[in-house]
Amino acid sequence: MTLQTTERPADPAPNQDPAPARARRTRTPRRPGQLGWLASTPAIIIGLLFTVGPLIIIIIFSFLSRPPQGGGVVYEFTLEPYIGFLFQSDFVGNTTFDPRYLSVFGDSLWQAFVTTAVCLLLSFPLALWMATRSAKLQNFLVLIVTIPFWTNLLVRTYAWMLILNDNGIVNNASEALGFGKAELLYTPFASQLGLIYTFLPFMVLPIYASLAGFDFRLAEAAYDLGARKRTVIRRIILPIATPGIISGVLLVFMPAFGSYVQPVLLGGGKVLLIGNLIASQFGDARNWPFGAALSVIILVMLLIALMAIAFYSRKSGRKVEISL
Amino acid sequence: MTDRTSSTTRRTAPRALRLRDFPGVGAISVVALIFLYVPIIITTIYAFNAGDSALVWKGFSLRWFGEVAQNANLMKSVWVSLQIAIVATVVATVFSILFALSVERLRAKGSAIATAILTAPLVIPEIVLAVATLGFIRLIGLPPGMTALMLAHASFCIPFALMPIRARLKGLGSSYFEAATDLGASNWQMFRRVTLPLLVPGIISGAILAFVISLDDFIISNFLSASGATPLPVFLFSLIRRGASPAVNVVATLLLVLAIVVTTITFLQSQRRSTKHA
Repeated sequence: MTLQTTERPADPAPNQDPAPARARRTRTPRRPGQLGWLASTPAIIIGLLFTVGPLIIIIIFSFLSRPPQGGGVVYEFTLEPYIGFLFQSDFVGNTTFDPRYLSVFGDSLWQAFVTTAVCLLLSFPLALWMATRSAKLQNFLVLIVTIPFWTNLLVRTYAWMLILNDNGIVNNASEALGFGKAELLYTPFASQLGLIYTFLPFMVLPIYASLAGFDFRLAEAAYDLGARKRTVIRRIILPIATPGIISGVLLVFMPAFGSYVQPVLLGGGKVLLIGNLIASQFGDARNWPFGAALSVIILVMLLIALMAIAFYSRKSGRKVEISL
Repeated sequence: MTDRTSSTTRRTAPRALRLRDFPGVGAISVVALIFLYVPIIITTIYAFNAGDSALVWKGFSLRWFGEVAQNANLMKSVWVSLQIAIVATVVATVFSILFALSVERLRAKGSAIATAILTAPLVIPEIVLAVATLGFIRLIGLPPGMTALMLAHASFCIPFALMPIRARLKGLGSSYFEAATDLGASNWQMFRRVTLPLLVPGIISGAILAFVISLDDFIISNFLSASGATPLPVFLFSLIRRGASPAVNVVATLLLVLAIVVTTITFLQSQRRSTKHA
């Protein structure tokens, strides 16, 4: 499976190379079958243009002013977008603390946290179970988990609209059993469920990848030495799975935190998360600088998370690959 | 339930002694797998509903497949999506091949930074990348529409095209290339006759993944689309917002079939790779 082979770094990180400093400064000699460095520039240019460029622009936008009307920005430096996140100013010019956006931020954190926690609780056993099956069954199970992963996000979210609908399966069943109908769709619960459903494979695959090559003789040795199963999980399997867990937590938490589709379709108008808030600032609300500032807040969180992972990686000597 | 498959070659041992099994793990796994598949299966079943409602079952019929095929706006959005996906796939795949083959020639730090730039779309929340790209294209004077969509898609498809290509290249080792050098192949001959053919399985996987990622993308497409350039997911979103309908069930099912086909193909590709070069 492509998703799993890419997890395993074949060569050590370049900066851990024990080569002397002088040699490191020159380019590595061209290996046969490879191309010159110039060939890597097209990909880098498009990455600079459509990934790095936009990120720089959004950071700049967050320090600019909004035009009197319409979308876009006016080139006038201000910290207003960031101040507006916490404070509200009235007509007289008094600024008062305004917790509205902070609560959106808090709700988003909470939903992302619950999503990550539930995904982890389901994924770790599933990944462990997969990793301990026969090679043939493992391949099949990876395929089974990967199919939802490649299924369109809207399709996966829409499926829950069908199930949670007033006339959906759950409500029909509960009515038939005499429990009556409950409003399930367009609730925070529905949005939460949709997030868990969407991101479950993002947690399973990295954890499975870290466990896939697990040498079961280690567990056997532990049993021989008198360890109980719980001890084997805690002291042997969990440490081996840690890089995968960290990668999975990042891949679930960040997208769930900035989610847009599930709160809109499953939460109806009742769930406002930071992703929707950003979208509305660039849409109806036409306050680009504020939307940009919210985006920068997410990017800063991401940066902190990546730095923490790099720190863990260096300290523990285990490489955490953030890839799917 | 936990133990059915684990009693491979050993004699059936009491559950507590089966070393590969842990209490509760099998049960949770089955629950998780059911959770993953029930919604998908229900959507698929209702795509074959004969009735007018998305949810009231009126018998089996292919009627809605026909109605979807005749929906001109929907078909137009499919065509828009295909055009974007094809361009994005070709650009992403070609650039990824070139990048995978040359990244080691950059200085160590440079190659790490370049890889980070190219794989950044995997971790940046899509909504942030979407609004940022909207701001960026407005700033450089590019209007939302086909060109913007194609360029943005090519960019976020690169990590997906790159992953299998790099994996394949690493798996090949250096012996093939050394042999070709010994036999006197020039650089161009080597690239055309050795490197490229050996990379084919990785290239196919990468191209397929890029294609699906582009075809499925909603959030970035939503911000960069213009009237006349509405990709399928953006059109589908507007359909869904109007409520559940049998037409949506059908489109959902077709996209699901695509996912199954693509996953299986890339899976078989990687199987072939591991049996050949393990």
